[in-house]
Amino acid sequence: MMLLHGGAFSLAIDNQRSTPWQDLTPQARILCVVIMAMAIALTPNGHWLTWGTYSIGILSTVLVSQVTLSVLLQRLAVELSFVSVVLLGTLFREGGDILWQWGIVSITTTGLTILGSVTLKALLSLLLLNVLTLTTPVTDLLQGLKTLKTPVLLVAILASMYRYLGVLIEEFNAMRRAAVSRNLMIGRRWQRLVVGNMIGSLFIRTYERGERVHQAMLSRGYQGLPFFQESPKNTGYDLIALSLTVLFAIAGQVAYWVV
Amino acid sequence: MIETLALVRLQSIINHAMWHPIVALHIPDGFLNFPVIAVTWVIAIGLIALALRKVQDEYQDRTVPLMGVCAAFIFAAQMINFPIPGGTSGHLLGGTLAGALLGPWAGSLVMSVVFIVQAVVFQDGGITVMGANIFNMGLIGTFGGYYLFRAIRNGIGRDKLQGMVVGTAIAAWVSVMVAAIVCAFELALSEAVPLQVALIAMMSWHVLIGIGEALITVATVTFIWRTRPDLFYRAPHRAITSTPRSLSIR
Repeated sequence: MMLLHGGAFSLAIDNQRSTPWQDLTPQARILCVVIMAMAIALTPNGHWLTWGTYSIGILSTVLVSQVTLSVLLQRLAVELSFVSVVLLGTLFREGGDILWQWGIVSITTTGLTILGSVTLKALLSLLLLNVLTLTTPVTDLLQGLKTLKTPVLLVAILASMYRYLGVLIEEFNAMRRAAVSRNLMIGRRWQRLVVGNMIGSLFIRTYERGERVHQAMLSRGYQGLPFFQESPKNTGYDLIALSLTVLFAIAGQVAYWVV
Repeated sequence: MIETLALVRLQSIINHAMWHPIVALHIPDGFLNFPVIAVTWVIAIGLIALALRKVQDEYQDRTVPLMGVCAAFIFAAQMINFPIPGGTSGHLLGGTLAGALLGPWAGSLVMSVVFIVQAVVFQDGGITVMGANIFNMGLIGTFGGYYLFRAIRNGIGRDKLQGMVVGTAIAAWVSVMVAAIVCAFELALSEAVPLQVALIAMMSWHVLIGIGEALITVATVTFIWRTRPDLFYRAPHRAITSTPRSLSIR
């Protein structure tokens, strides 16, 4: 288990650095991110000060972890463009003062508040998750999930999926190139049929590959229970980081009520 | 260097998939409130736990390799854009397809695994709302899609290609629409998007996406029906051989 390299994707380009963030065990990093993401998501709309506090903490995590900023921004841009379609929907609603109106379409203060709140929430969560994936290889993430009591079977399936992702994408690309080289991708109706056939063919190859993989695993002594490496032990340092995260999450909430 | 190349290639693949977004069937973080998050998480965890047990019972030590590659298959299939009627392009969600090929339990397990990887590794869909995404597309899209497909197929005839085609076509379209409607209600219940706006946006877009989903699903199952019918979860009787489906190694 956990010998994932070769064809597998590697997103964690900033894994090797030694910083206070990377010194945390993977499970502690996952927990910190989940706690903060939950705190962000559950903050009621319009609590700007809470998010202001959180964004200071998150931006310092970005700086401390020394992630490659250009890659981070690139990923954020792509991910936000995806979010923006849903975001627009939050704007048009009734309630509050009407700021702008055109026919039945109107922009109100309530709409703006919700748009701003949801945008901030999505942005902060994405920042956090990107820091996690840029600094933690998928193997470590899976190991962390296992330590956090995710069912072993599920983690093993996730690992097996991750291992074959690159293989199957490459296989599909080869099939697509073959179809293009035979002029099969001209015409929309024809193209749909060919894509459908390719997916069907890919499934047959996938299933057979799964059987072969199973046979290969059996021949190497697999007995139905995946073998896992020892997870890195929780350290006192993890505990400190986790307590600080929880305290910080609470402090953010308190900031709104106090100020 | 190699890692950077892999990253760039992956990014281009993801860009490609993302510039033609399935509008918001992958809900991002920040859109749902606590009650919706909590309820959908409880349902999703229950679904995954049950599915894990059922699949383990059926596939035993083949579970890990088979479910792993099948999840990778769905992930790869979801990245392919194809033209949908009406001039835009869309990509497969694959719930009904997974159900028809693998059955309700393995199908929804595989779909859930895909959503977990998409959320955790690729930030496609949020992590706090992962429960909702699994609920919408794993439970409704796959489980619901499968039983609708099964009912229609049984009505027309289990051993007829026609039953397969009509069943998957209707189930694929309906499951996408229902998932979109449920998604709209979740957004509205969380007071993120007004119900009217959410419903109109979701439904008008997914009417077309659903047609594309149905066309591709039908093309896919027809191909498998003609070449390896024994691979279906409930294979036509003529395709069932003395060797069980599980040992179909060529």
